[in-house]
Amino acid sequence: MSGAALERVFRAASGRIIAVLAARYRSLALAEDAFSEACVRALRAWPETGVPDDPAAWLYRSASRVVLDALRQHSVRERHSIPEPPPEPSVEDVLADDSMVIPDERLRLILICCHPAVAQDARAALTLRLVCGLTMTEIARAFLIEETALAQRLVRAKRKIAEAGVSFELPPPEFWPQRLESVLSTLEIAYSRAHEDASGTAARSHFAAEVLHLTHLLVELLPAERDAFAVAALVRYSEARRPARVDAEGFMVPLSEQDPRLWDRMRIGEADALLARAGNLGPPTARLLQAQLQRAWCARDSLGEPPPWPEVLRLYDRLLDLRDDPFVRINRAVALAQVSGPEVALQELERLDREKLEDFAPYHAVRADLSARAGRSQQARQAYEAVLSLEPPPAEERWIRRRLAALENDTVKS
Amino acid sequence: MKYALLVYEDESQFDPDKAGPHLRELVGKHMAFTQELGARRIGGAGLKGTSTATTVRTKGGKKTMHDGPFAEAREQLGGFYLVDVASLDEAIEIAKRVPLAKDGAIEVRPVMGP
Repeated sequence: MSGAALERVFRAASGRIIAVLAARYRSLALAEDAFSEACVRALRAWPETGVPDDPAAWLYRSASRVVLDALRQHSVRERHSIPEPPPEPSVEDVLADDSMVIPDERLRLILICCHPAVAQDARAALTLRLVCGLTMTEIARAFLIEETALAQRLVRAKRKIAEAGVSFELPPPEFWPQRLESVLSTLEIAYSRAHEDASGTAARSHFAAEVLHLTHLLVELLPAERDAFAVAALVRYSEARRPARVDAEGFMVPLSEQDPRLWDRMRIGEADALLARAGNLGPPTARLLQAQLQRAWCARDSLGEPPPWPEVLRLYDRLLDLRDDPFVRINRAVALAQVSGPEVALQELERLDREKLEDFAPYHAVRADLSARAGRSQQARQAYEAVLSLEPPPAEERWIRRRLAALENDTVKS
Repeated sequence: MKYALLVYEDESQFDPDKAGPHLRELVGKHMAFTQELGARRIGGAGLKGTSTATTVRTKGGKKTMHDGPFAEAREQLGGFYLVDVASLDEAIEIAKRVPLAKDGAIEVRPVMGP
């Protein structure tokens, strides 16, 4: 087996094994260290013995042995601040059974990693590291931070979890809404990071794949949570459109101008199915409406078909009832402009608190676009400049520069 | 696990020296809350205003003393609860219900040792 193939085996097994060990021994650090050590042992043993039939089971047994050895050394117990010896010393009995199944404790692990007491900027990274088995290098690249900074962030988060007494038990029902909220918003943030740059460099598209994987895992583990389905659908709709988001010359393509024939139909089908499940689970939530908005777009078959602006506006009206924030209002204004004209939409934007939105690129981008369409070139130019001053991703920057150039031409002509 | 819940509020709302009717009303709420916590509360107290504070500072081995709290801030430590609960989640749930006069913050800190 090649090095890359081994790495895939390790990665596939890591989440489940670390989750089980963490749940049983109440220590993320111990579980992670033991799994790494098991991988090292596998790299030594497998070239001689051959890769076992069930590599995950081999790694699990090996990691469990590492933990038990570690626990026998008192000093280690202190370093990892393990409260009590494990309640089930039957691990060795389990070890004797070759056909055992590794219990799935990944939901617990996700809930621990995404606990609201963990720093928000560490939650997604910790989840990707422990549940998905991404390497530090991959995570650092996706979040555009130095590997050393990421390592510090993760060490701090793990220490907080251990020291502050974050529970390793599945929370009782009354804690669910808040905890699930934290998990879903973590996934949303992680995905928006992956989605940010339309061109999706290699590191980031890989990252997006992991978020798809996690959302899939979440609906499997929580089949009654409609918001989990809604988020799973939403990221699939967005991801389906990735091939059409940038043109051959590297310019961003706005949603309404994307060629639907380039969209990934299989992903869209997957998203449709997930959204249908979400819809069956209760009345619409803000997340469900957002997924429906994505579906409205993805239902388009070709550029010949009119864009679904009236439906988009109707959905934004409903969303506004559930979630009234500038983000929703700005997006609604875009649809409103298409249905009732740019002047009406600009008036809507005027009602927003401009000072608070000074650093919010979508606000300036939409204002620029609407101003240009309303024939207010000067205002449009200023707003485009404001977007550029916020350093947008490359594909968007190129697109804006082109719009600015077009504005100049118009002015010269008139 | 044991946690300290440190209660921060703007004490200027409690009249000079925390002695007006505002505070009396809040103290009543704290007493009711203490009752409600029962055995989970293992300690705690309300503190007099920062105007009564004296700070002893050590710097380079030298002790100095000054009138007032250790740092000036918009919100001040006004009291604390010590609770013994199963997990951080439970401590946070309690923190959410600590009575406040208006705005404020509760810092949840695990206590060292067993």
